[in-house]
Amino acid sequence: MQSKRLFDRIDSIRFTGITKRYGNSFAVKDLDLEIKGGELLILIGPSGSGKTTTLRMINRMIEQDSGNVTINGLDTKDVDPVRLRRNIGYVIQNIGLFPHMTIGENIGLVPKLEGWEKKQQLERIKTLLNFVSLPPEMFMDRYPGQLSGGQQQRVGLARAMAMDPPLFLMDEPFGALDPILRKQLQKEFLKIKDEINRTIVFVTHDIEEALVLGDRIAIMNQAELVQVGPPEELIFNPANDLVADIVDTQRKFKHMDTLRVKDLMSPFENKYVLEGNTEVCDAVDEMTKREIENAFVFEGEKLLGEVTMVDLMKCKSKSQKLIDIARPIKTFQPKDSVAFALSELKNSGEYLAVVMNSGEPVGILVSDEVLLKLI
Amino acid sequence: MVVLETVLDATWEHVVLVYTTLFVSILVSIPLAFAALYSKKLELVVMKFANLVQAVPSFAVVAIMVPLLGIGFTPALVAIMLRALLPIVKNTYIGLTNVDPALIDYAEGVGLNQWQIHRYIRLPNAYPAMFAGIKFAGILANSIAVLTAFIGSGGLGEIIFQGLIGYNTNTLLSGAIPAIMLAIFIDLSFTILEKKVTPVHAGE
Amino acid sequence: MLTIQTVADVWSRHLMTIRTIEHLQMFSLALILSIIIGVSIGIFIYMKQRTANPVLNFLNIVETIPDLALIVLLLPILKLGAGPTIAACVLYSILPIARNTYTGLKGVDEQYTYVAEAIGLSPRETLLKVKIPMSLPLIAGGIRIALVFCMGVVTLGGLVAAGGLGTVLQNGIQLYQKDAILVAGLWTGILAVFLDSFAGMIEKKLQERYGTW
Repeated sequence: MQSKRLFDRIDSIRFTGITKRYGNSFAVKDLDLEIKGGELLILIGPSGSGKTTTLRMINRMIEQDSGNVTINGLDTKDVDPVRLRRNIGYVIQNIGLFPHMTIGENIGLVPKLEGWEKKQQLERIKTLLNFVSLPPEMFMDRYPGQLSGGQQQRVGLARAMAMDPPLFLMDEPFGALDPILRKQLQKEFLKIKDEINRTIVFVTHDIEEALVLGDRIAIMNQAELVQVGPPEELIFNPANDLVADIVDTQRKFKHMDTLRVKDLMSPFENKYVLEGNTEVCDAVDEMTKREIENAFVFEGEKLLGEVTMVDLMKCKSKSQKLIDIARPIKTFQPKDSVAFALSELKNSGEYLAVVMNSGEPVGILVSDEVLLKLI
Repeated sequence: MVVLETVLDATWEHVVLVYTTLFVSILVSIPLAFAALYSKKLELVVMKFANLVQAVPSFAVVAIMVPLLGIGFTPALVAIMLRALLPIVKNTYIGLTNVDPALIDYAEGVGLNQWQIHRYIRLPNAYPAMFAGIKFAGILANSIAVLTAFIGSGGLGEIIFQGLIGYNTNTLLSGAIPAIMLAIFIDLSFTILEKKVTPVHAGE
Repeated sequence: MLTIQTVADVWSRHLMTIRTIEHLQMFSLALILSIIIGVSIGIFIYMKQRTANPVLNFLNIVETIPDLALIVLLLPILKLGAGPTIAACVLYSILPIARNTYTGLKGVDEQYTYVAEAIGLSPRETLLKVKIPMSLPLIAGGIRIALVFCMGVVTLGGLVAAGGLGTVLQNGIQLYQKDAILVAGLWTGILAVFLDSFAGMIEKKLQERYGTW
């Protein structure tokens, strides 16, 4: 049955006097918090701090013992949970795509249950897959098991967007990915976030992710809210030692001039290497198999440049070779200073560079956007 | 009316048939399972044949004995064995092969010979699976033994068939009920035995 | 030993085309009933977990009863004919189907039911769209066991005037016609093995389609 939308946009989500106990211990204690419409609020804190519990109380996956959660002034207790959840997009770390359904069926499940027409469903699925840079004709009929982790996470995002909800809840969506993959998806997510302009509540334990993505950050510890504010405020005006410790950028910043590229780079791995004469469609399969979204194109010993999965899939002629489409990539030496390398990356708008030592790749440098903000 | 003595006689015949087949089946099965450890070919035949025979209706197996072996106790015994043997071989074999290879390595390392490894490592490890197979075979044997009365094996089935001829409910039940009680007895006794030989208990 | 001529003779003399049709009719009816009842019971004991153990234990006892004895027990209630045979088939087949349905539903990874709930599926929709499809390989395995049971019991039906291929075997034994026994026995066996392998193929397909990666 087609149910009426609960809300077209979010003005505010308000937690008032929220407490949740498990046995004798508090999961969340006396929480008062307002999330403003259109912002991306990060919930961060050590495990057991209550951040996930807080998130799950918004869509009533967990029910509070006392206090109220209101969305646009409407108490969530007064809404049927099934209806509430269909108005909220939900993305989690282990994604949970249903293995027995194709990618298309996974994304179209709730629209189907809502009684959309077949044509309308199909259109929506295609739009969303394009939106997350997965060509529909290539992915719609595949099963989740045939996709790489990064691709699955994109489908998870597309599924959350199926009903075009005004609110998204994201529970460590990039937590299980390796750092380079995570960076790529964060970057894409930032773009998507600006395009869809929705209210997002985002749980993470990665402070860098929080500082990069968050409009405001709520720091929780031992079931209580410690401080909430924009990143700058937390960095320059931490409420206590704990916040300063979590934010931790001061220390990095102090040593900025002494840091070398080799101190910050990740080791180079062979899985990132593709040969220049590889055909584009073979490269897509190979990268899916290797679970990578970025690859460096080599011809023999010579570094030609970089390709990303998104570039490859936008490519029309599948018989093209990587050598034709590889984009040039910056290289640094291990002994270069981090400040120099990062500002070079910032100027060119790149976020990845290869670290070369006498003609041999030894590492990968991923731009540290937290440090960049401080340069 | 059926005389109690007739029922007791038939029950005794039934029990003899079931336990003889079961005993012979076990005697044949265990060496066969060990032999399958040494021959891939034999293993394949046993496992494939086991699955295949399991699908054939018992009555068809019993009936085919008549043109091949005639009627009486022996054809009945062979028919039951054809069905009961394979679950035991199959389960025993699975139990024998499901041993942690590290354990075998260790046993070889401390100087146990092949026979000792079989006796002290593989066999005890196979007990639970083996007994599950024997229990299953026992229930199956009891069930088919009712049927073999039709080819002259005697036993409780004979009373049932007498009842069927004249459609006498009392006669029917005096054959069926002891057969059911025997089935439950076999199930219970083997469940208890199974628990006794399970390594967890043996190790206590 | 068996020539084509004798096979053809036996086939026509014992009306084996009709017997085969009767056999398959009883078999299909019994199997369909078993699936409906078995799956329903499986879902029921999954939703009312406390009933699971008593129900499964009871069905386990039914399972040990010799098949002919079970048919005989049902005779006074359902009279001669196909009734007791079909009822016995169903009674035997409920356990494997119900048990596998129950195990399958219980075995669905919690992360999937959690996600289903979180994206707004009602408990009913979660059951129909997620849990049951994900249990299909196991349910199919149960149905395959039931199929073998039903084939066996339906063949026994010949002894209680239910018709089917068992009738040919019974006549063959009583009249001591070796050819008839051989033809009917082999044919029954081939039919059963064929249906079992066919079910095995379907089971494998379902495993590939619905199995968890």
